[in-house]
Formats: sequence, C-alpha cells, structure tokens
Amino acid sequence: MSQDHSKDRFEELSAGFLAGRISRRHFIGQAAKLGISAALLSRIVSAQAYAEDGNLMDSSPDYPNEAPITKERIEFLKTKPYKGQTITVLVLKATVGDGLKYWVPKWEEETGGKVNVAEVPIDTLHQQIFSDLQTTHRYDAYMTGAWFYGDFFVPKEPYIIEVGPYLKDPKYPSWSPDDWLPAMKTLYSWQGKVYGVLFDGDCQILYYRRDVLEKAENQQKFKDKVGYDLPNPPKTNKQMFDVANFFTGWDWNGDGQNDWGIALHAKVNEQGFFHFLTLAAPYVCSPNNKYFWFNPDTMKPLINSEGHLRALEDYVKFLPCGPKEAISWTLGQGWNLFLSGQAVLEPTWGDLPTFAQDPKESKVKGKVGATIIPGTTEAYDPIKGQWDKFDLNSVGNVNGGSWHCVISRFSKKKDPTYDFLAFMATKKNAIYNCTHGFTGVQPGMKFEYFPPVGTGKVEEWVEQGWDPEEAKRYLDAYYQNLSLPAQETYLRIPGAAEYWHELDVRVSGVLAGQTQPKAALDDCAQAWERITERYGRDKQKKLYAESFA
Amino acid sequence: MDNLLWRSSKWASKLVAMLIACLALCWVAIPFLWAIGNSIKSRSAIFERGAIIPFLQFTPTLDAWKEVLNDPQAINCLFSSALVGVGTTAFVLLIGTPAAYSLARFEFRRVKSKDITLWFLSQRVMPPVVVLSPFYILLAEFGLIDTWIGLILLYSTFNLAFCVVIMRDIFRDVSKDVEEAARMEGASLWQVFWMIALPLSLDGLIVTAFIVFAFCWNEALFASAVTSQHAATMPAFILASRSTRGVDFNFAAVNTLLAIAPPVLMSFFVQRYLARGLSFGAVKG
Amino acid sequence: METIASVQSKAERGFKYALLAPSVIWIIALTFFPILAAVRYSFANYVLGEGITAYVGFSNYARLLTDSGFWYAIFITVIFVGITVPIEVCIGFVLAWIITIGVPGKKLFRPILTAPLFTMEVAIGYLGVTLFTDQGGLFSTILGALGIHIEWLSTASGGLAAAMILDIWIWTPFVFLMSLATLSAIPNDIFDAAMLEASSHWQVFFHVAIPLAWPVLTVAILSRVLEGLKSFGLPYALTSGGPGTSTQLFSVMADLTTIQFTDFGRGSAMGILYLIMVSIVITFFFKQMRKRID
Repeated sequence: MSQDHSKDRFEELSAGFLAGRISRRHFIGQAAKLGISAALLSRIVSAQAYAEDGNLMDSSPDYPNEAPITKERIEFLKTKPYKGQTITVLVLKATVGDGLKYWVPKWEEETGGKVNVAEVPIDTLHQQIFSDLQTTHRYDAYMTGAWFYGDFFVPKEPYIIEVGPYLKDPKYPSWSPDDWLPAMKTLYSWQGKVYGVLFDGDCQILYYRRDVLEKAENQQKFKDKVGYDLPNPPKTNKQMFDVANFFTGWDWNGDGQNDWGIALHAKVNEQGFFHFLTLAAPYVCSPNNKYFWFNPDTMKPLINSEGHLRALEDYVKFLPCGPKEAISWTLGQGWNLFLSGQAVLEPTWGDLPTFAQDPKESKVKGKVGATIIPGTTEAYDPIKGQWDKFDLNSVGNVNGGSWHCVISRFSKKKDPTYDFLAFMATKKNAIYNCTHGFTGVQPGMKFEYFPPVGTGKVEEWVEQGWDPEEAKRYLDAYYQNLSLPAQETYLRIPGAAEYWHELDVRVSGVLAGQTQPKAALDDCAQAWERITERYGRDKQKKLYAESFA
Repeated sequence: MDNLLWRSSKWASKLVAMLIACLALCWVAIPFLWAIGNSIKSRSAIFERGAIIPFLQFTPTLDAWKEVLNDPQAINCLFSSALVGVGTTAFVLLIGTPAAYSLARFEFRRVKSKDITLWFLSQRVMPPVVVLSPFYILLAEFGLIDTWIGLILLYSTFNLAFCVVIMRDIFRDVSKDVEEAARMEGASLWQVFWMIALPLSLDGLIVTAFIVFAFCWNEALFASAVTSQHAATMPAFILASRSTRGVDFNFAAVNTLLAIAPPVLMSFFVQRYLARGLSFGAVKG
Repeated sequence: METIASVQSKAERGFKYALLAPSVIWIIALTFFPILAAVRYSFANYVLGEGITAYVGFSNYARLLTDSGFWYAIFITVIFVGITVPIEVCIGFVLAWIITIGVPGKKLFRPILTAPLFTMEVAIGYLGVTLFTDQGGLFSTILGALGIHIEWLSTASGGLAAAMILDIWIWTPFVFLMSLATLSAIPNDIFDAAMLEASSHWQVFFHVAIPLAWPVLTVAILSRVLEGLKSFGLPYALTSGGPGTSTQLFSVMADLTTIQFTDFGRGSAMGILYLIMVSIVITFFFKQMRKRID
C-alpha cells in the first residue's frame, strides 16, 4: 500500500468519522490497519472522548434536531427531562439574538423545557448583564461579547460557571471544544477552562472585488501609474493602500459616477475602531511579540508605541480613498458602498459576503474575493522598543463580538440551561447557524470549513443562495486568518469597552482632522492609565495575564 | 372664526401669513414623508442616490413592515407603552391634581406655596442619566425590574412635578367666586374640589394628561435600562434597531411610524381641548 | 392674599395638607435616595462587580474640572441650547400668532403642526442620518441640486447643525402649543381694539401680543432650556458624539460614562457639577417666575 493511498484513505476515514458516518470503534480499527500511530489517532479521537465507545451516532430518527447524538442522550431525552422547567436567557437584540431564538422551539419540543428569551439593545446589554448579576439574578444565561469576559472574573468566585464538567457527561448534547480553532477557543475560555458554549466566531478579513482586480485594463493602468503589477489580492499594507488609492476618484464600474477604493464604517461608538485594531495588528504583533495593549509587567499602555503610531498614520491615509462621510458611517452604510459596487476593498466581518449573496441588496454576487488582512514588512516590538524586519508579517485577529452564551453562577437551573446552549452547539446545528445569514453567526469550528480541514459541504452553502466559489474563498480566508501563527490578542479585562471607547473617540478625532496621531495616542495612553487606576493596577495586571492563559 | 385682525389686514400681510403657514406645514410634513419612504425601501435603497420618489426612483417593498409586524415583540412593546403611559398618567393625575389644587388655593405657614411650586419645578433640572443607576438599584431591591409597575413608578416620579405646576396654573384660572358661593351654601371643601373645581378645569386636565402621556410614550433612556422583555416599551424597541450589525434604518422607520401613530391620532381627538386656551395662569395680571 | 386662604379654619388646614402631602412625600421618597446615592458615589471609586473600592474625596471632581473634554461638552451643550431655544421660541410663537389671527385652514394646521412633539428623539436621530447623509439623503440631494455641498455628518459643525435642525423640528411645536394656548385665552376684542388704534399689524404683534403672552413664554423658554440641556436621544442616535467627541453633548457623555462604562463615581460627579451649574443659571429664571407666580 503506497504512502499516498493510505493518506487519502485516512482522510476519507476521518471525514467519515467526524461527520458521524463511521462509528468510533470502526474508525480506530480501520485506522490501525492503515498504520496510523496511536498518538495521531488520539488527537482526532479526543474530540469525542467523552462519548463511550460506539455510543455516538450520527443521528437519531427520534431526535432529528441534534446530531451527532449519544445513546445516553437518547435515553435521557425519552424522559422529557426538563418538563415544567423554564430557563431565561438574556440576549442581544440583533441577528445573533434571532439566531438563538430560532432554536428555542426545537429544543423545547425535544426536552419538554421552556426557554424565555429577553432581548436588549447593544447599548445597554453590558449594564443589564452586570446589574442582574449584582442584584436580581433573573437570568440563567447571558449572551456576551468576548470583551465582557474580564468583568465576569472580577469577584473571587467568577460570575459564570465552567462548562467542562458537563462536557464529560454523555447525556448532554454532544459538542467538543477541541473542534475550535485555537484562536477562537481562547475567546471562549479563561485560564484554559471553557466557560462559553459555541455560538458565533467573529474576525475581520479583507474583502475585495476580484473581477475588478483581475481586469486586464485595470492591471495595465495600475502598472503604468504605480509602477508594479496590480497585486491580486494585496498582501501588504502598502499594496492595499496603493490599490485603494489607485481606484479612487474615477469611474471604474462604468456607471457614470466616480468610484472609490475602500469602504469603511468608522462611526464613533459603532465599532469603527475595530478597523484601526485590525489594520494595526501587523505593526505591533508578530512572532516576536504578542502584546498589543499593555506591558504585562507594569500595565503601562502600549497604545502610543511607534508601531501603533505608524498604524494610525497609515489608517488616516485610507480615509481619502473613500467618501469623507465614512467617518460617520455605521456598519450597514459601509457595507452598502461595497455591495452597490462602488468600492474595491473593505476590511470587515463575514456579514459582508453573506449580504453579497442577496440579489436584492447586492450587485456584487460572485465577484467578491476574500483574503487575510494585509501584513507589513516590519513590526515594532513595544516591549523591547525596537523595529523587527520580516519578509511578510501577517497577523490574524478575532476582532468583533464572537457572541455566545455563558451560564450565571446564580442560576438555579444550570443543567437545562447548559443543555439548551449545547443543543445549539451540536455539529448539525452549528453548521446550520453559520450557513444561514439571518443567524448572524460566523464559523469558528474546524468542521465548519471545507475538507481537508473540516467536513463542511459547499452544497449546504449553495442551498442558502451562496455562490460556491465565493463561499470557498470566504471560508478559506477565514480559516487562514484564524490559523495564522501570529494572532492579535483580544482585550478581555474589565473595562475593555471603556479602554476601547477612549481609543475610539481619539482615532475618530484624528480621522476628522481635529488632532494629530501622536498627540491623540499619547492622550489615549493617559486616559487608559486613569481607567487602570480606577480598576486597580494590580488587579488589572493579574486579569490581563489570565486573559492570555 | 374670522376676526377683525384678519379682515383688516392688508392682502400682503395675509399672503405672508399664509405663506409662512404653508412653509411650516411642508417643514413638518417632510420628515414624516421621508420616514414613510424609508419604511418601504430595502436596506440598500436607503443610501442610494436619487432614490426619493417610490415607484419612479426605487421599487418599494413591504419587507420591513412585514418583518417588524411579524415580530410579536413589536406588538408587546406597543401594548406595554400604552399600558405604562395610561397607568402613569392616571397615577400622576390622581396624586398630582389634589396637590396642585392645594397649592393654587391655599397658603402655607412656613413655606410659601409659590416656593413649593418652584420646588416641584426644580425636579426637572436633574439630568436623568445621573440618577439612573441608583434608580436601578432601588427597583431591583423591590423586584420591579422589567415590570410595568416599575416603569410607572419611575415615570410618575418624573412627571408628577410637571403635572403639579401646570395644574396649579389651571386651577388658578378657575374663578374662585363659584367656589366661594358653594362654600356659602354649605358645601364641604372636598365637595368644592371634587364637584366644582375639577369639572371646571376638565380641559386643562385633559391637556395635562395628554402631555404626560406623550412624555411617557417617548421616554427611551430609562425604558431601555430597566426593561428587557416583559415591560419593554416602544422607544426601547426602536433603540434596538441598532445592533451589532449597525442600524437597520428601514426597520427604524417602521418602528417610528408605528410608535407615533397612536399619539398623533389621539392629538386629533384632543385638538378641541388643546385649542380652547390654557392661559397657564399667566394673563391674570 | 387669597380670600379663601385668609380664612384659616382647622378643617381647611387638614384638607390642604392632605391634598398636598402625597405628592410631596412621593417625590421626596423617590428622589431623595437616588440623589443621595449619587452624592455618595461622586466621592467614591466605583468598580463594577466590587462596588465602592475606596473613597477618594474630591478627586472625581478635580479630574473633571481639569478635563478639557468635560468643559467642551458643557460648552457645546450651551451652544446647542443657545441656538435652538431662541429659534424654537420665535418660530413657535409666530406660528401660534398666525393661527390665532385666523389664517384659513387653521383647523388643519393645528394637529399637523403639533405632531412632531410626539415623535421619539432616538427615532428622529436615526431618521436624521438618512436625511442628512450625502449618500442619497434628502437635504444633500436638494442642496446638491442648488450647487451647495455641506458635510453634515462628517464634521463637528455639520453634525451639530443637523442635530439642531432636528431639535428645532421636534420642539418648536411645544412652544407653538403653549403660545397658542395663551394667545387663544386672550379675548379677541383686545386685539381688535388694538388693531383699530395701531397703524400696522406688526405693532399689534410687538406691542400687544408679545407682552401679553410673555409670562407663558418664560415658562416655555425655561422648559426648553431645562430639557435642551438634557438632550440625549437625538444627538446620540444621529452622530454618537462623533467625529471624535466633537458633538458629544453633556448627556451623551454622562450616559457613556455612567451606563456604558459603569464609572458611577465619575458619572455622579458629572451630574452633581451639572446640577450646580444649571441651578446657578436657572436661578435667574426662577426669580422671574417667582414674580409671575405672585
């Protein structure tokens, strides 16, 4: 048996196993015949380790709403275990909240329990969660943005409970944190323990107009004007700027109006600063340095380092490559410019390609390319205080909310609550979530990607109206971003929203031309010091260190 | 209705007056029309250049309406808003009107009644944001978060002062002669208040009720902070048009139209009272 | 002195206190605790999840007083009120006058002109974004056709102007309603008599109507000033205080600090400072009002 053949066979086998078509016992036996080492096997099989040998079935006709499913689970469900119990979940009033609500009747039907969903707008979600934790304890679970995490760990005993023990019990819906890409798993965990149950996985990548960059006429013009081949897609920040700049101010789509290079949504208080965080990552983070926010030894802000400064100066240059009003645009307005075919580039979330598939909202279906955020050739190590040279320093990010639920320590119905959350995390349902635009959920699990990484099927995406090639490009870039070795760390300490806000208003001020980048970042560092003082420097330092572990 | 002032005006001034009135009408109407336009646009048409006139410049769609009306929460919120508005108005009038009457008719020994009135008025100085957190804790203590009662409690506190001040002026407009005559006939103080003063000030009472109701109906800050589901009102619902995905402006427009319809319709009914003439005690010299 | 009030019987004393007491007790009970709490927080360092970690004396205040951002917020709030209120009062009063003197179709005008009063500020803020955007917004389209290009939403002055225009749209009807109420309470023959003597319409307007309505106008102005200083929903929904913090009015700043970042210490100090400042300003109004109430 040739080496290659056995590799193919093994891939087929593991795909079958992960999809639940092949039982665990059969898989181990067959793999052993192929000569796969036990160590390698354990890495794959551990994903389902809690399920007793052969107990995990790919689906059950009695309980079609979750898959795969264990025999214990089937037995458990037969008793309608949560009859008469009602759990209450506080969610964000948004697509992600709708996504959660979709599963409520399905779970209720299976288990006999009831779910009460309360929705609040993003402006008051944080306040509502923590007011409830401190006083009323009315909710069993909260949908949280990843940046709320630090706040949960301020008291000695955390406000939320670990889900680890539940994962070992086969009577609960079957899902595994090992299926996460590491960058995403970190966001759902604290000090190595998993607290969140899989739902959404956000990150920003660069979307671009493939058709425009591929057009020979544009390539020729670009070469004549800029002096090198039109990069398709742009790989460095400089290339990205050249492309954005080149396509600004002339009519490349032939509609009689001048078009733009880049679409941004930079409104203050509307997540506009994520643009800056995303673009700044490769200027600061690198294989040599993972600290983006604070010096872990002193909790002194790094935000006014030379790297951050350079990033901000570069970010400002992008502004004239789009309509000036973009500094007051919310997300939808930014996306709209791209979707209506008036901009070539947009660094943003996965909602953009999802909307692009809707012919009512979009003129660019099938024309959207996706790639990781362009890198840099040098990065500033703010701890050592020096610039490091690289061939190409590309850094992944998990910027965004990565909305998911955590269980309150004060809940009196933790078991049914976990059951409901895990129900949505089973493979079948997770794939449903990330292929359906209305849920607002983006992929974070390996199995959601296409083979060889995962077991996703492009048909599932096409069924939802996706252009197959576009779905592949999107998932590829998403996967690549999340699996880059260098990742921008996420700020998960108490007051994260406040730190971000101080940065947000200053970045916005710079964009509006009210302040200079250097002064703005220095000022921001001072504001950050004030926040750190308020929360207590030592406490913040401890939580900052924990947020990486 | 025509009066001397109008008849004796020069045609030029008449023209100017009519012109101003028409301009004002357009000025007021345009945002409403624009909201109607937004509500029948798709997400992308909202920010499309030159998409102003439906059918001609963009294809109208009822998607936003369908989506909002299919959301049971929208109906819940309308109901909550109505209930909280009516509840607050009733409660405020119930305890505010007697106080207003007392301040309008009687003098107090230590503190002058006008100073008490000013004290009531000063309650409106405090920016609500600042007392929001303590109020939240207060409501939580009594288990009133996300309840109608909780909201009624809050709104009553904010609107009571307004009611007292306005109603006091209205009572002072009612001629005292009638009341004094009734007293001579042997009516009790309570009878005078209940059977004479109150019916005579009915117009003012309705207007006050209307304004209090409108204030409750429009309050967004507290509504979004102390409610989440059960007692969420329309403004909280509108605030939630803004989400992780930015603002859905077409949904916001539908919500806006839904929310303004009841009070605007109501305002047509109370026009009669609104116009009858509240002097707010001002012109008595 | 009031005639009835001068006859102080025992029954009357009981009666007047019984009527007044519920309201006074209600307000004291429900506002005393929150305001006291705000004062306490303003001297404290507050952390979500831990509560008050330390009392820090006046340091919250000191930081605010030396924070240019805070003064800027106060400054633009004053500008905001200083521009919108006079315009609202002028337009509102003139419209009320026109209706009072009997312009044809006033039955139609009245309900329509009061309608904006019942819209929600947040909703109008969102609507404003679509009105003022240069991506197909109504104002930009109309002005663009006239060759005027204004950057409404991407500059501080543009954003403030847009917020002011919408504020005027919402609140002029309030002044209109109050003015209308007082003008229609003035007997017509007063105007008619004045008209016979006066040489022009304008004289009646300036020398009869305004002085007669002035007391109510002060109430209207005071109400608008107090409410305007608290403006929140509209600027928040329209610009979120941006670009930068250039349109961050006081209440928006206070909301962000207190609600979104749960810095109760700083937020409360902000509120107390505001209270002190506003109290000083409105003392002037109250003096006027006190005279009027007499």
